[in-house]
Amino acid sequence: MERSFTREVEMLKRGSGEVFHGEGILAITKGLLEAGVAYVGGYQGAPVSHLLDVLVQASEFLGELGVYVEACSNEASAAALLAASIHYPVRGAVTWKSVVGTNVASDALSNLASAGVTGGALIIVGEDYGEGASVIQERTLAFALKSSVCLLDPRPDLGLMARMVESGFELSEASSLPVIMQLRIRACHVRGQFLCRDNVAPLNSALHHLEGPAPFDYARLSHPPATFRQEKQKSDLRLPNARRFIVEHELNELIDGPRTEVGLIVQGGLYNTLMRALREVGLADLYGDSEFPILVLNVTCPLVPEQIAAFAEDRKAVLVIEEGQPEFLEHEIGSILRRAAIDTPLYGKDLLAMAGEYTVEVLVAGIAALVEQVKEKPANPQALGALLEHSSQLASRWLESNRERRHGAALRLGTVPPRPPGFCIGCPERPVFAALKLVQAKIGPIHIAADIGCHAFATFEPFSSGHSILGYGMSLASAAAVAPLMRQRTLAIMGDGGFWHNGLLSGVQSALFNRDDVVLLILKNGYTSATGTQEIISSPEDEVREIARAQPAGMLAHNRTIETTLEGMGLKWLETVHTYDVEKMMATLTEAFTTDFKGLKVIIGEGECQLERQRRIRPSDARRLAKGKRVVRVKYGVDEDVCSGDHSCMRLSGCPTLTLKDSHDGLKVDPVVTVEDGCVGCGLCGANAHAATLCPSFYRAEVIQNPGWRDRIMASVRAGVLRLVQPA
Amino acid sequence: MDSAIQIAPSSATADSKQPPKTDGRPVSILIAALGGEGGGVLCEWLVDAATSAGFPVQGTSIPGVAQRTGATTYYVEISPLAQNELQGRHPIFSLTPVPGTVELVIASELLETARVLQAGFVDPIHTTLISSVSRTLTTLEKMAMGDGRLDSEELKATAREFSAEFISFDMQAEAKKAQTVVSAVLFGALAGSGKLPFSREFCEAAIRAQGKGVAQSLAGFARGFEACLAARAALAAGPAEALASGATSMRPALPARLSLALERFPNEALDVLTTALSRLIDYQDESYARLYLERIESVRVLSESLAASVSQRAELVREAGRFLALWMMFDDVIRVAELKTRATRFARVRDEVRAHPGDIVQIADYFKPRLEELLGILPVRLGRLVAAWAEGVQRIIGRPLELALALRTDSILGFIALRLVAACKPLRPRGARYEQEQVRIGDWLRALHDCSALGILPAQEIALCARLIKGYGATNARAHENLERIIATLASPAALAQWRDGAALARALASARQAALADPEGRALDRDIERHGARARPLAERPIKLIRRARA
Repeated sequence: MERSFTREVEMLKRGSGEVFHGEGILAITKGLLEAGVAYVGGYQGAPVSHLLDVLVQASEFLGELGVYVEACSNEASAAALLAASIHYPVRGAVTWKSVVGTNVASDALSNLASAGVTGGALIIVGEDYGEGASVIQERTLAFALKSSVCLLDPRPDLGLMARMVESGFELSEASSLPVIMQLRIRACHVRGQFLCRDNVAPLNSALHHLEGPAPFDYARLSHPPATFRQEKQKSDLRLPNARRFIVEHELNELIDGPRTEVGLIVQGGLYNTLMRALREVGLADLYGDSEFPILVLNVTCPLVPEQIAAFAEDRKAVLVIEEGQPEFLEHEIGSILRRAAIDTPLYGKDLLAMAGEYTVEVLVAGIAALVEQVKEKPANPQALGALLEHSSQLASRWLESNRERRHGAALRLGTVPPRPPGFCIGCPERPVFAALKLVQAKIGPIHIAADIGCHAFATFEPFSSGHSILGYGMSLASAAAVAPLMRQRTLAIMGDGGFWHNGLLSGVQSALFNRDDVVLLILKNGYTSATGTQEIISSPEDEVREIARAQPAGMLAHNRTIETTLEGMGLKWLETVHTYDVEKMMATLTEAFTTDFKGLKVIIGEGECQLERQRRIRPSDARRLAKGKRVVRVKYGVDEDVCSGDHSCMRLSGCPTLTLKDSHDGLKVDPVVTVEDGCVGCGLCGANAHAATLCPSFYRAEVIQNPGWRDRIMASVRAGVLRLVQPA
Repeated sequence: MDSAIQIAPSSATADSKQPPKTDGRPVSILIAALGGEGGGVLCEWLVDAATSAGFPVQGTSIPGVAQRTGATTYYVEISPLAQNELQGRHPIFSLTPVPGTVELVIASELLETARVLQAGFVDPIHTTLISSVSRTLTTLEKMAMGDGRLDSEELKATAREFSAEFISFDMQAEAKKAQTVVSAVLFGALAGSGKLPFSREFCEAAIRAQGKGVAQSLAGFARGFEACLAARAALAAGPAEALASGATSMRPALPARLSLALERFPNEALDVLTTALSRLIDYQDESYARLYLERIESVRVLSESLAASVSQRAELVREAGRFLALWMMFDDVIRVAELKTRATRFARVRDEVRAHPGDIVQIADYFKPRLEELLGILPVRLGRLVAAWAEGVQRIIGRPLELALALRTDSILGFIALRLVAACKPLRPRGARYEQEQVRIGDWLRALHDCSALGILPAQEIALCARLIKGYGATNARAHENLERIIATLASPAALAQWRDGAALARALASARQAALADPEGRALDRDIERHGARARPLAERPIKLIRRARA
C-alpha cells in the first residue's frame, strides 16, 4: 500500500473524552467503530480509499473488537457483503467511489434494497463530482430514488459526519432500508477534529458467534412473488418509517433567520458553501447567523413532505440549492407543494447552474438572481428592500471583479498549458506506450480501447493514445464490435486491477467464447496502483518482494495467477514481455497485430509498480549504505553538447525527471535535455534511444557506493589506462 | 507574533501589536502544488499548528489522481479569532477557495501561480502571493521541437501586477539544499509571510509532532522562512538596481589571423563569431574555421549592400553566423566519439549523477548509428561501394543494418574503440557526409543571397531557417527535407519571381519555419506551404499486412 496509516490507526483507538484529529473519511471510519459495526468491506477509489486502507492496516486492533474487514474484488461483491444484515442483527458498512462504483454494485444493491435489512446496512460513497473528480459526472441520488434506499448528505462538519454514521445505522434498522451516505471529495479530505466516544464491540461477531442460521423465510428472498410484496412494502411501510425517524431524530436541521419572506433548502453537503456565499453578499456572518431561514437536508432521500411544506408555506420565495443534474429534489419539492396547494414560488435550477460543482461563486450568482426576483415583488417591507438592494450590489460588484481579474490574466498569459496527472518517475507502463507509439509509426494507426487505471494517463501527452474508455475492466468488451469494422486488428489495454475487477469475465470470457480476433494487453504491475497500490490476488508475495530487489519485473513472474487463469480458460496465444524492453514489446505487438493466428491474443506487460518498488528499495539501500555495504545506484543522463535540442525523446517519454534546461552552448538557441536528480534508473531512456534511434546523447551511469576491493582495483586499472590515451 | 513582521512593506498590516483582521474574514490560504510534493503533509502541519495555537481551523484538498504529478490545490481556513475569543461561536469554514478573498496564495511552481491567477483567486487588494520562481515544465512545453517553454519573466510580471504583494524565490533550490521536500519550504514561507495568526514556534512544533524526517523538514522550514523574509525585505527596499547589462562575456582566444579578420564585423556579432571560430577549430581545424570566415564574410558584405539599419545588419550577420557554425559542426560519429571521451566529460558525468568522492562511476553510452552515418565518413566512392553491398545485405535480411550499442565508455576496450573513431577526424573532409553538407550549406547561402534582392527581411528569415537543421540520423534527414521544401517553395529563383514585397516573403518564411517546428511529421509545414503551391510530400513506404478475417 502506498501510505502508512500508523498515526491514523492510533486515532481510531481513542475513547470517550479524547479528541480525534484527522481527515473526514477517517472521522467516518471512527464513527463506524463507535456505532458498533460488525463488518466492513469495499473497493478502493478516491476519495474514499483511506477508509478501507486504514482498516486493513488496523487489522490487529479490529480483531480485538471483533470487526471483520474484507477487501472486495469489486463494488458488486462489496454490495453483496451487506447481505449479512438481511437476516442477522449486525451492522455492516461498505464503501466505494461513486457514481462508477454504484453502477457496478447496483445489481446487488437493488436486490438488497428489495429484501430489506434487519441489521443496519450503510454504504459510504465518495461522490466524485466537480473539481478533482476522475470519473463520469453523475448523481448517486438517482440510485437511491429508484431502489428506495435512504441517502444521507451530511453537513461537512466532522462531528456531525461521525454522528450521522450511527444515525444512518439506526435509520436503516428503523426502516429496513439500506442507507447510503454520500461524501463530496473535499468533505472526505477535510481536516478537523471532534470529540470521540468509546468504540463499541459488536454484539455478534467473529468473537461472539450467532446461534446458527436464520430459519427459512421466503419473504426475505428477492424472488417472486416476494418481490411484489417488497415493492409495496417500500412505499407502505419502509419509507414512512424512515420519514418518521428523520423527523423524530431531527436529522434535517432548521436554521432560523429574521427575514422569513425567503427560505433556502440546501443539501447538507453544500451547507458550508452556502453560508460563505451568503456571507459574501451580506446575508450571513462567519458564524452561521443567516438573514434567511434555511432547511438543511442531511437526508436527501426520502424527503419528508410535511417538513418541506411547513418550511415553504407563507413565503415569497423558496430556493432549492441542489448540485448535479437532473434536479430530482426540486421536482419532488415542487410536487409536494403542489399537492399541499402551497403556492410559494419555487426557484432552483432556473436561477442556478444546471450542471457542475456548486462553488461559492456559483451560489452567489444564484442568490443574486434570487434577490432580483424577490426585489421585484410588490409590498416588500422596507427593511427587506434595503437588505436585498445591498446584497444585490455586493454580489454584482464581486462577480464583476472576478470576471475582470480572470479576463485580465487571460489577456496577459493566454491559455496556460494544462498539467494533468501522469505516469510516475520510472513507471513500468510508460515504456509500453512508447512502444505502441513506435509500432504505430511503422505499421499504421490501431484502434485502441483504453481502460481505467494509471495507464489511462497515456491518453494525455506525449502519447495521446486511446479511442474510448467504457469503465473499469471494460476495454476488451468495448473493442468487440469495433474489431469487425477494421482492416487492422484492434487493441484493448487493461491493468491487472481492471482484469480482476471486471475484465476477466466481461472481456476475456466473452472474447474467447465469441472467438474474437483481437489483441489484449494486460499491464501487470502487481497492484491496483491508481487507487493507492492496494494488493490484489496477483500481487507478489511478501517473501518474494524481499528477495527480488534488482529486477523490477522478475518478481512478478512468481505470481502466475493471471497467466494460469487465462490458460485455464483455453487461451492459446499468450506472450509475457518485460515492459522496459521497448524493442521486444514492439516486436511482440507487431507479431500480435500481424500473426495468422485468429482469436484472442494476450500480451502481458510485466513491470512492478515503481512506487511500491521504491518504497521497498529506498529504505533498504539507506540501511545498507549506513552499514558501509556496497550499493549500486543507477541514473541516466544526457550529454548536453551531444543533445541536438530536437526533443524527440520527450515525445516518447514524459518522465518528470526528463526535462529541459538552457543550453550552455553560446550558439544553440533551443533548450537541451537533462535528467534531474529524481531519476530511478528505470532504463526507458536507454531503451527508447535504441528503439527509436534517438540521438547518442543518453548515457547510463552506475554509481557504486561503498565499492569493494575488486571494484576499486578494476577502477584504478581502468583510470590508469584511460589517462594514457585521454585528451584533455 | 515575531519581529519579522516589522519589515513588511505595508505598515498598516505589519504592526505586531495588532491582532489579525477581525472583520469576520478567516485567514484563508490556497496552496497550489504538484502531486507528490507533500501538499497533504503541509495541510496537516498547518491544521496542527493552528489547533495547538488555539485557532479553529479547517483544511481540505482534492488530491485524487492528481497525486501522480498533476496540478492540484490545498485549501486552509483559520479563524481570525482564537477559540477563547469566540464566545462559544463556531466559524463556518468554506471547503472551496473564494475568488478575490484569499489572503495568502502560495505555489511551489511558477506556472501553477499563473494557473491560480487565471482562476481568479488572486486579488490585487487582498492577496499576498508567494511563489517559487522555479519551473517544472509541462509535457507540452517539453515536447516542442524548438523552445516551447513559457516566458518566466512574463509570468512573474503578471503575478506582480495582479497581487497585493508578490514574494518570490526559488523554493525547489531551498528544498534541495535542506535535502527535503518542497512542502517544508512552503510552510516556512507561509510562516515568514507574517500573515498567519500564530508564531513560527507553533509551526515548528507541528513538524516535530508529525515525526517523520523532522531535522530535514525543520531545515527546509527555516530556509523557506528566511528566504521569504529576505524577499519581503527586498520588496520593501524598492526595486533592485538592474544588474549591469552588456557585460562582455569571456571570449575564447583565437589565432591572430582569425581575430584580426573579425575586426571588420559588427560588435553585436562578435560573441557569436568568436565562439563559432574557436569551436570550429576544435571541431576540425583552423582551415575549416577559415572556410567559415569566408562564408560569413560574404554575408557581411551582402548586409552592407542592403538598405537597413546598423542593428538589422548586425543581426543578420550574427544569426547567419550562429546557424552556419552549428551547421558546419554537423554531428557525426567522429564528433560524438570525441565528445564522449573527453576528460571534462567524465568529470561532468560524476557531477551530474551526484557521485561522492570514493564512489565509482561506470558509464554506458547508447549508440545506434545507422549505416549511412557510418558510411558518411568514408570517401564518396568507397562509400558507394560499401553502400551497394549493404543494400544487398539489407534486402536479404529484410531490415536495416544497424548497430545498437550500450558501450561502456569507462572500460578500456570501449574507450579505445571510441578514441579510434575520434582519430578519424583528419579523414572527415574527404568523406561523403562532409561533401553533402557543404553542398547544402552552399544552397542555403545562395538562397539567402537571392532573397536579399527583396530586402534584408527575407534574408534574415532565411538565416533563421537554418535553426531547423539539427539532430542525427532520421531526424537530421527530415530537417534537411523541411528546409529544402521551404526554400524550394518560397525562395528558389523561380519562386522569388512571384514575390513583390520583401516583408510578405519574410512573413511567409517565418510562418513556414514555425510550422516546421510544430510537429515531427511535418504536417503543419505541409499545410502552411501548400498555400504557396508546394507539392505534396511523397508518401513514405510502409509495410501493410492485411489480415484475413476468421469466419465462423
